[in-house]
Amino acid sequence: MRANSHEAVGPPYLERRTVSALMIVLMNIWVPLLMVIDTVIGIVLFPVGLLVWRLVTRWPLARIMRHFIWIYGRVWMWIVSPFVRFRLAGADREWARRPIMYVANHLSFVDIFCLSAMPVFDVVICLRSWPFRMVWFAPFMRLAEYLDLESLPWDEIVARSKGVFSAGRSMLVFPEGHRSRDGRLGRFHSGAFKLALQSSVPIVPICITGTDRISPPARRWLEPSRVSIECLEPIAPEQFEGDLGHIELRRTVKQRMEACLARLSA
Amino acid sequence: MTDEKVIEVVNQSLAEEFEVDPETLKPESHLIEDLGFDSLDFVDMVVVLQEAFGVMLREEPRVREVRTLGDLHRLVIDKKRELEL
Repeated sequence: MRANSHEAVGPPYLERRTVSALMIVLMNIWVPLLMVIDTVIGIVLFPVGLLVWRLVTRWPLARIMRHFIWIYGRVWMWIVSPFVRFRLAGADREWARRPIMYVANHLSFVDIFCLSAMPVFDVVICLRSWPFRMVWFAPFMRLAEYLDLESLPWDEIVARSKGVFSAGRSMLVFPEGHRSRDGRLGRFHSGAFKLALQSSVPIVPICITGTDRISPPARRWLEPSRVSIECLEPIAPEQFEGDLGHIELRRTVKQRMEACLARLSA
Repeated sequence: MTDEKVIEVVNQSLAEEFEVDPETLKPESHLIEDLGFDSLDFVDMVVVLQEAFGVMLREEPRVREVRTLGDLHRLVIDKKRELEL
């Protein structure tokens, strides 16, 4: 009996491992190859695309760039789709019509691409300095008026965020400031919450799981995964008052995200 | 309030308000390099400690010289003593 049960379990287990290894190899050929092709085509067609978009939409340059970056993210999602299953929950198309401060947990550099699953593209993303040093992305990020939170003085960040929100656009911040090394939520910095309160815009927490399986920090190859992006209910800024209202808001957001991430992980 | 109590309240405030791991709260800990504080956290820290101790730190020039947790302990202890005189 023991021998039979061993035979029944052994071969499919080995087969699964072989298929997994094969999928990893295929993914690491397929995705970089198509991303290079996509990026080169994107850069070559960029001037023409910009002109056409400008003539058709009459949008400002920065908005067109944010749209292009969102499309680039969508193309990335299509490229990885044979290896990655995406699930988006809780997002509301109406959010595109009003200014919102989105805050998301951060597991991997591919989080930015995955957030293109959101039905909102006109979002100014706030990042640390190092992405602005990537020569092939930095010019587009600057044209999209993304904010370098490490280099800009706080007063300028406040002024620019007020401009973004008053124009009806949204912002996205990773309040941990860097990618999590162990999958758990790290310490939240206060900046995003302060900006939201100063402009009286609601906060939408976004919980991401599975991207650390695709590409965690310090690993050079990709692996298949299932990615969940769950948007929580918007949190109104009015109930958080006083000098330390942003700290209370930060705490509230983090508690809700911790509960959601625990549920998604379970 | 004793100096030990001041240190305890400062550490507790930092741990609760700034999500700092209590294990890392040592007098020699650098607020930026070891505890991960940024410029906004310094502003918040002043407000948090003012509320906790009832002292005025916002206009205090020595705040700009605070580098380590020990510097912060000494500053709050001094301001608390000034208040009690």
